[in-house]
Amino acid sequence: MIERAIALVRARAATGDALWRRAERTSVTFESGRLKSCAATEETGVNLRVLVDGRVGVAGTTADDADDLVARAVASAALGETVPIRFPAAALLPDVSTFVAPVAEAPLERLTAIGAELVSRVTREGCQVNVTIEREVAQTRVVNTAGTDAGYRTSTVVVGLDLARFAGDDVLFVSEQYAGAGLPAAADLDALVRSIDDRYTPALRVVTPPDGALPVVFTPSGLSAILLPLEQALSGKTVLQGISPLGAKVGERVFDERFSLFDDPLAPGRPASRPCDDEGTPSRRLPLVERGVVRGFVYDLETAARAQAASTGHGARGTFGKPHVDYSNLILGKRGEGRGRGGLGGGLLDGITDGLLIDDLIGVGQGNVIGGAFSHPVALAYRIERGAITGRVKDAAVAGNVYDLLKKIGGFGDDGRWLSNRWSASLLLEGVSVARR
Amino acid sequence: MKDRLAAALKTSRADYTEIRVEHTWSAAVSFRGARLESATAGEDRGGFVRALHDGCGWGIAAFTSLDELPAMVRRATELSRAVRLERPIRLAPVAPVTAEALLDLDGDVRGVPLAEKKRLIEGYNGEMLAVPGVVDTQATYRDEVTEYWFANSEGTSLHELRPEITLSGTAIARRNGTIEKGLESIGLRRGWRGAQGQAAGFGDAARRAAALLDAPSVKGGAYPVVLDNELAGVFIHEAFGHLSEADFVYENPQAREMMTLGRRFGRPVLNVGDNGAAPGLRGTLPYDDEGTPTQDTPLIRDGILVGRLHSRETAATLGERPTGNARAVSFRHAPIVRMTNTYIGNGSGTFADLIRDIKLGVYACSAFGGQTLLENFSFTAAYGHMIRDGAVAELVKDVVLAGSLFQTLDRIERLAGDFRWNQMGGGCGKGGQFPLPVTEGAPHVRIEEALIGGDVPA
Repeated sequence: MIERAIALVRARAATGDALWRRAERTSVTFESGRLKSCAATEETGVNLRVLVDGRVGVAGTTADDADDLVARAVASAALGETVPIRFPAAALLPDVSTFVAPVAEAPLERLTAIGAELVSRVTREGCQVNVTIEREVAQTRVVNTAGTDAGYRTSTVVVGLDLARFAGDDVLFVSEQYAGAGLPAAADLDALVRSIDDRYTPALRVVTPPDGALPVVFTPSGLSAILLPLEQALSGKTVLQGISPLGAKVGERVFDERFSLFDDPLAPGRPASRPCDDEGTPSRRLPLVERGVVRGFVYDLETAARAQAASTGHGARGTFGKPHVDYSNLILGKRGEGRGRGGLGGGLLDGITDGLLIDDLIGVGQGNVIGGAFSHPVALAYRIERGAITGRVKDAAVAGNVYDLLKKIGGFGDDGRWLSNRWSASLLLEGVSVARR
Repeated sequence: MKDRLAAALKTSRADYTEIRVEHTWSAAVSFRGARLESATAGEDRGGFVRALHDGCGWGIAAFTSLDELPAMVRRATELSRAVRLERPIRLAPVAPVTAEALLDLDGDVRGVPLAEKKRLIEGYNGEMLAVPGVVDTQATYRDEVTEYWFANSEGTSLHELRPEITLSGTAIARRNGTIEKGLESIGLRRGWRGAQGQAAGFGDAARRAAALLDAPSVKGGAYPVVLDNELAGVFIHEAFGHLSEADFVYENPQAREMMTLGRRFGRPVLNVGDNGAAPGLRGTLPYDDEGTPTQDTPLIRDGILVGRLHSRETAATLGERPTGNARAVSFRHAPIVRMTNTYIGNGSGTFADLIRDIKLGVYACSAFGGQTLLENFSFTAAYGHMIRDGAVAELVKDVVLAGSLFQTLDRIERLAGDFRWNQMGGGCGKGGQFPLPVTEGAPHVRIEEALIGGDVPA
């Protein structure tokens, strides 16, 4: 199908590229502690982009009709803007492990056994436990008219674990996730269970929130509100639109010297790793911020063409819609550094007389994200008093501006870990506004 | 296709089997500023099989290659048998039905050239770009026609044709360091004709963005708060509607206690429901994705919790009746309990009556976004006005409403008689299924006291 689509594009004396992806997913769901359903999903789709007389057009399909797909892409190009996209020629791709054979071969019983073990280890009185395990095996091919024909296989296992406790009108939600190219090892399951315990036990006691400009520890999952503005600002697309606060700051020190951010599509064994992006550009590790200094932005082919830059290999595409800029694996700080015994706060609580630990916030992504200002009620947060967690706080909100707060970092924890496609440790920031409601 | 479904069902050895097949044609055109961002057309088709053996769990197969229908039925029945349950899954009875529900396509979008769609949204985008102070815009046109088949082993067989149109616009106004935005969003279960004549809303959104440049931030604190129809609708969907979905309580005794039928949730003025059969709305369909007819389900009557939303499974577990709320966003997913068109029932009197005796309050309008975490919520209004001495006064911005659901519902003290459905785009997300077309409706709602901007420390 993909060869035929590209051949049809060539026959029209046009250029173009296409992504073909076939994914097989198996998932098992435990609801309230019991296995409820097993599902198998198979999906094949093609996304095609053409340049006809310099104009770009895109079409996608899950139906098996190359002629219709090309006709629709050409019709789209008739309206499209002129963009000087240059499709990459065939290149030697870096070696990266994205496929773990035992994952593809694991029988259903192996997946349900993982779930049953987790359920039995985290079940406790008065709590509802939900577990989902999803295994995906996918094949990807990127073909273009410039000679690229790249393909690779990926395997992904995601284990999600949710604990909900209802006591009167108080609801406590604690969740944790494993994601990797391989099945979780015993140590990974231990870490999941320990992480749930670490956050559940101190949450049982509800305490009064503090108030004022305070030291706040953001756990790897609590960091989303802090990193989202940077993810937007470091996208070449935002820079091109002229709305990135970092657009004109390449080479400048904007953040604390200890702050570094990389995108690494070659991280071994990660679900988002790949030898090339969805446009066939070879993968490479890209510094975005190095020791507080802005180094560069992520680009796909179209954004790069418009910005007169080169693609950094960050084109992503689904079956439908046009290719867009996206990150692969975001690494905050040095990976590997600080992987210690873990524990909530990663050892950052010691010097804090009065403060907050944030694990989850409500409404991240609402409001004016790009400016760096944030203001969110807490979803899961704990009070820190005299170096220790004293309980969970409910009616509190935190606010600040990430560009001010990241000028001075209080420290990184020793609990560095992967959470979905991001590696980070806990981060201590000083002077975050905390308000009681 | 009906015959293929019937033939595939015959091959199943499970006690219950259902098959859903969908074929969707879609188009999308979007502008960023004066520049065309993309104009694309897609074709998506696939199927879904769900099987249940007595004493076993659900077995599910979803696929894009329709040639393999019988193989997928086999797959789903095998997966069902792989799950042994002590307490078996029961399905509440629903009478089998055979129906052809080919909705009026209202100008079939599949016959309209992409260039026409581009011209239409370019015009709406132009309405925003023409407003002084507006420096950037985004405008998107989307359409969809889905041909839908559903059949189950109990004899139900459905064939439907469903149109959908969504139009959305964002206007960004900027002066020096201040950036403000205005949003327009329209979602209709209609076709090409429904997309016409919608320019005014885009212009209004852009003028609002420009006006907000000069508006002060609201001063945080506790106020009497009046929600406009749109924000009241978003509030009831997000803050209360999700709790009334029975899959949230059906396996959880503690949650069920929190949502005990008969519990007082508000004052006698408060009535809430979900109506999947309301004519002409985006969340309206004749049957849900289990073949249950949709209906108007009262959730709160005179302040008392009286109902919840069900699938066949949750209804059977709780000994209640299915309400036609089992919905799937596409053939890729299993139906789960979802809202359709959720509403706060009408009150009486005018908006002027509602605010007449408010000395100092906040009128919170439209929504940029909202999130709830069970009993806690946070909503960002698109804009607001102060209410001073019983009248709407100056425009204010940064109006964030946050609080506890139970407290806030209990403080709803008056409702105006100006009920309206909000035909917005976007959609609802749950369990990885997004965007599900839903509608919300409400009159103006007055809350005795709520915290505004209370979570924005000085």
